[in-house]
Amino acid sequence: MAVTEERSPAKIWGIGVRQIVYMALGAALYGGLSWVTNIIQIPSAGNVSFRPAIVIPLFFGAVFGPWVGLFTGGIGNLLGDYISGYGIYWNWDIGNALIGFIAGLAMLVTWGRYNNSRNILIAEVFAAIGIVVGIGFAAYNDIWISKLSFATASIGELLPAAGSDLINGLILLPILLVAYNAAVRRYGRA
Amino acid sequence: MPFLLLTIVESKAMLISFPYINRDTPIHRLDPRAKLILLFLFGLAAAQTSNFWFILIGFIFAAFYYSLAQLKWSETKRVWYFIIALNVMLVVFNYFLSAGSVVQGVDLTHQHVLFSIPFIGFSGKPPFFVPKPLIFSVESITFMITQGLRNFAIAMLAIPIPFTTHPGLMGIAFKGMGVSDRFAYAIDLSFRFLPSVTRDFGTTLDAQRARGFEIDKLSGGIFSKIAKLAPMVVPVVIGSVVGAEDIINAMELRCFGMGKRSWLTVLHPRLVDRVVITLTLAAFFAITLLNILGNFYSAGFLHVLHVQGIPQFLIP
Repeated sequence: MAVTEERSPAKIWGIGVRQIVYMALGAALYGGLSWVTNIIQIPSAGNVSFRPAIVIPLFFGAVFGPWVGLFTGGIGNLLGDYISGYGIYWNWDIGNALIGFIAGLAMLVTWGRYNNSRNILIAEVFAAIGIVVGIGFAAYNDIWISKLSFATASIGELLPAAGSDLINGLILLPILLVAYNAAVRRYGRA
Repeated sequence: MPFLLLTIVESKAMLISFPYINRDTPIHRLDPRAKLILLFLFGLAAAQTSNFWFILIGFIFAAFYYSLAQLKWSETKRVWYFIIALNVMLVVFNYFLSAGSVVQGVDLTHQHVLFSIPFIGFSGKPPFFVPKPLIFSVESITFMITQGLRNFAIAMLAIPIPFTTHPGLMGIAFKGMGVSDRFAYAIDLSFRFLPSVTRDFGTTLDAQRARGFEIDKLSGGIFSKIAKLAPMVVPVVIGSVVGAEDIINAMELRCFGMGKRSWLTVLHPRLVDRVVITLTLAAFFAITLLNILGNFYSAGFLHVLHVQGIPQFLIP
């Protein structure tokens, strides 16, 4: 039986019931996993901290679209800080939203299908760009808000945060995409 | 037996609880929209100046606001330890990394030097990094104090929000600030998903532990360790995504999104909420206007946000 795949702008930019639920789910997963990995205190290696949660906005953006990625990153980061009691820091929420949004732009090329190496590599590239741009926004925003120098924002915030996110995200993203492919084939949903 | 008890305690720790404390204080009664608008505009206003007196006034106001929330030290100490450590580290690290050149609102060629310490600085010719004293002056110390006060003031407005705002009100608060119905509902839904998601993480972690997966004993190099986190992350994410299909079908069957949505909870701003929002907006616009005008006047009151405001008796 032939399967027709919908390829229209609505699949990428539309916000229907499906996108709303995935937004909420992604945000809860990002916030929850951030909180869980803070509680568990996984021992880090050198200067790289374990932040597996960063893969959540990258995955949700790449598979469900840029709006889902934006919401997952932004509200997910807000949730993580909220339940930890730290409060709300809007520039880091927007930075994380940018991570998910830019990662979601991969869907313009891949249409949300990651059943080959090429598409997974495209997702990785967009994820890397998203992390650098998102963390860069948040870190360099602190130059204005907290009166940090460019060097402090770069060395004290951008390098450690983006570095850890890149390593954690780029390793876990292909694993999650392959697992999602297998689940979709098994359940017959795409 | 001790190992079993530790495992049970750790599993119970996965049952998330929001930091909200149900108490009757002026900040608890304040509309969530007023708290969010106050936090956002305060941060933007404080970012526009390094004048010590303006920042001090803001700090005093933030301290008063925090005191009204009546939060106990035992309830917030873990958060404050982190904020204090981060703030001190950022302020000191920032000054050292910039070799003192980050000070704003003052002529750095005419500083009132108190003391200096041996340090390294950048020079335009090889070897580019040369020994240079790091100067501590009245101006630079004032700048670091101002920077610290600003960050603590913002923290004192940010920290009370999760402790004094019921999580069920966050979605409707964003709706009241102009966010569309769908996004506001998604925010509300994400708060509702949170406990079940963290419970699933705990269950998955226990199940994987039973299969020999020890998250605190990962072996191998950094890349290998991160890849070995997959058994914790993948089952929960994929299971949640697949399970979301039932929720989507249920919502579609109930015609979600077909018409304007009503909310179970409705926020009614009181007079004090309107006053707080109005005063916040007025103060923000006044500071922004003063900041813009300060670029056109090199002295006088209109230029006040562009100077540190150190009293003359401190810098004879």
